[in-house]
Amino acid sequence: MDVVLNQIFAGLSFASILLIIALGLAIIYGTMGVINLAHGEFVMLGAYATWALQTHLGLGVVTALPLVFLAVAVVGWVIEKVIVQRLYTRPLDTILATWGIGIILQQAVRMGIGAESKFVKGPEWLSGNIEIGALVMSNYRIFVIFLSIMIVTGTWLLMTRTEFGMKLRAVIQNRGISECYGVEAKKVYSLTFAYGAGLAGIAGALITPLFSTIPTMGTGLVVDAFLVVIVGGLGSLVGTAAAAMLIGEVTALFSIVINDTLGRIAVLAGIILLIRFRPRGLFPADTRR
Amino acid sequence: MAQLEVRDLQVVFGGLRAVDGMNFDVEQGEILCLLGPNGAGKSTTLDLICGKTQPTGGSIRFRDTEISQLLEFRRARLGIGRKFQVPSVYKELTVAENLSVARSSRPGIWHALTTPAVRRNQKSREILDLVGLADKGGVPAGNLSHGETQWLEIAMLIAQGSHLILMDEPTAGMTIQETDRTARIFRSLSADHTLIVVEHDMSFVRTVADRIIVMDQGAKLAEGTIAEIEANEAVKTAYLGH
Amino acid sequence: MNSKLSYDIIGLGLFGAVILFGVPAFFSYDGFELNTFARYLSLAIVSMALALSWGTAGLLNLGQAATFGMGSYAMAMHLKLKASGDNLPDFMGWNNVEALPALWVPFNSLTFTLLAGLLIPAAVGGLIATFMFRARIAGVFVAVITLAFLVAFQLLVIEQQGFTGGQNGLTGLAQLELFGWTVDIYATSFYYLVGGCLMAALIFGLYLTHSKFGLVLRAIREDAERTRYFGYNVANYQTLIFCISAGLAGLAGMLYALVLEFASPTYMSVSFSLAIVIWCAVGGRESVLAAAMGAILVNLAEGRLSDVFVEGWHMMLGVLFVAVVMFMPRGIYGVIVDAGRALRRRGGSEEFAETPSFDTPLNTKQES
Repeated sequence: MDVVLNQIFAGLSFASILLIIALGLAIIYGTMGVINLAHGEFVMLGAYATWALQTHLGLGVVTALPLVFLAVAVVGWVIEKVIVQRLYTRPLDTILATWGIGIILQQAVRMGIGAESKFVKGPEWLSGNIEIGALVMSNYRIFVIFLSIMIVTGTWLLMTRTEFGMKLRAVIQNRGISECYGVEAKKVYSLTFAYGAGLAGIAGALITPLFSTIPTMGTGLVVDAFLVVIVGGLGSLVGTAAAAMLIGEVTALFSIVINDTLGRIAVLAGIILLIRFRPRGLFPADTRR
Repeated sequence: MAQLEVRDLQVVFGGLRAVDGMNFDVEQGEILCLLGPNGAGKSTTLDLICGKTQPTGGSIRFRDTEISQLLEFRRARLGIGRKFQVPSVYKELTVAENLSVARSSRPGIWHALTTPAVRRNQKSREILDLVGLADKGGVPAGNLSHGETQWLEIAMLIAQGSHLILMDEPTAGMTIQETDRTARIFRSLSADHTLIVVEHDMSFVRTVADRIIVMDQGAKLAEGTIAEIEANEAVKTAYLGH
Repeated sequence: MNSKLSYDIIGLGLFGAVILFGVPAFFSYDGFELNTFARYLSLAIVSMALALSWGTAGLLNLGQAATFGMGSYAMAMHLKLKASGDNLPDFMGWNNVEALPALWVPFNSLTFTLLAGLLIPAAVGGLIATFMFRARIAGVFVAVITLAFLVAFQLLVIEQQGFTGGQNGLTGLAQLELFGWTVDIYATSFYYLVGGCLMAALIFGLYLTHSKFGLVLRAIREDAERTRYFGYNVANYQTLIFCISAGLAGLAGMLYALVLEFASPTYMSVSFSLAIVIWCAVGGRESVLAAAMGAILVNLAEGRLSDVFVEGWHMMLGVLFVAVVMFMPRGIYGVIVDAGRALRRRGGSEEFAETPSFDTPLNTKQES
């Protein structure tokens, strides 16, 4: 029973990180219909940026977060401007282009920094644990969970309460008409892509004390995050959050019942089945077909 | 026995009753026009018959077969063809290829595997002649003008050889001459095809319709010949307001 | 006979002549060079297989490497059993597997192996396809689901060490004996075996694309919904092309395992799957012939350049790929076709109207 409780907690913290990654993906897909396969590499860049800030400037993971967000957002912004923007009319090709971009980023890091894994220290002030009975919760993981809740809430407020959010939703609904009313769709797209990339960067920073930082770390994560987006139902923030929790927890629990790898395989298979029977996700946006 | 029998047909979209208790028959060889204000449920009725939308209640019998729960392609195989409001031809395929796809009397995979992509034959040539595209067989459909695209789609429906053809605003965007020509083709079609046409152009309706059904708020408001409809008080109210 | 078909036949003839006569003569029948080239030819098969599902039907299968890997493992399992004689394959002993697993037993038979290498990938491809296409999943979702399948499958193969040799794959294989002929992979005859398989696959692929089956698939690629109203069972068409594509990938995998003399889980990696997509895109996904040539060209370049730029090669490949997607979305094939059209138009010939399917970009309406 203790094991199960601790796994549920571990699953929750993994789900939180997955949620931040998936949120960025979902925003980018929802806004411009781009499947961003370079998203995993944005996570990786976030992790390396954190590592660089810690090794060279001595910044802690938490202090580095805003800087990492900005840095990765800028990378995303540039990529959107230079490459993705030219492919909006060809959705299937954006998959390919972003996949290629992912390879380039990965290889650039491998050549520039090296393929061996880097280690990032977690923040000292979050180093302890909270113990409730047999349940041991590390402060850092609790912090990650709360931060992800804040990010989701913040994003929701950004989408629903700000002028940018209103413009964004207008562009999603109908790009042509929005442009007639003076919304610069291109600018909205660039900023959205940058924001999504920045979120991936934050996820990368948060993940550093928990996982080892290597150039290929993003590949597995991007597949998981995509499944979260699809399972959650496109265009549904609640769905994305629920799916992240579900997948995080099921993975964690499966890994006690069987083992890590088989657990992951079972989850992937389960998701493929789920998509078969609910192709529009668990929480489809309710629109007339 | 009518070719198509629609009974108590209804569909609900998230609380909105788009079609609510429609009843009508269509006889073999008849041209039935559906009229009504925007949102009356005309296109939805066509969608329900061809299978684009699944009904939430009621029955549709086509040539003695209950079809309301069948998948689209099964209904197409029974002989129901559909022309959409937006011209939907395959822009990347040539005119001849479009026609070949439409000629689907044997839609099975085995037949497709053992047949060349395009067979030039008498039937295809006649159809292309009828719609004036005879010399454009090799042109990609994406390079056709708007009018030609409409013709191509009509040609495809003829090639498909459906017993019942559902047309959604076939003359939208056509010039007066083109509309006249379409009307003539429709009249000649009704020898072996039954047509249900959604149309706003009243002069066109006057020319082609054998019978008219006026819809309002998802239900049948009036039914009859053009003269009967024009004299109907309920129709006047629905169109002109109180 | 339309002119597109005649161009394809001429192209196939030229390609066949170069592969079967030109290349062996160029390398003066050198066994090692031809072995390397045979590797490229086997990869050309998996690339043209992807062109069938992706280029013709618009179904981007990012999991092509999984079915490729299945083929290679089928072949390697047979050869491993042959090499082990009456003993258990060595790695099974290291993993405390006591008896030959039931999964392995039928691979003692060559006939079974050859059939399994084609049919198991085809069946698996068909299963996934039925799942997806009955649910009317299309566009980017096909890409994501096949990618997820690939990741899961590779994990499974690595995890089941006792059955698959895990991370190391299957090594120490015997030579294949094909109806009394011992296949020496450094012999010219082996090169012709692979070349013959590629030519057969290409002829089959060209036949499919020029049949009404291929036409209906192109119609489905452009507008699946519309095609249903003509009475075509779209899911069946998509499933069959997925099956065929997976079966051909299995064939390529069998040959690849022969050439390299081992099977490895890296054949099923995401990066290998990406490589297949790159070859296909560079050559031109609309044409099976162009896709095959894309695989050969990129691998030739890799063979020459990766020695010079050991680290930089992957970077160059990534840049090349992004550039192709952005500026030559129809690959080398598209460039050649456009150039040909421009020439003929300048010549004032009317004939270009006969080859119109070259004209429009492929991507106007792939996803809905």
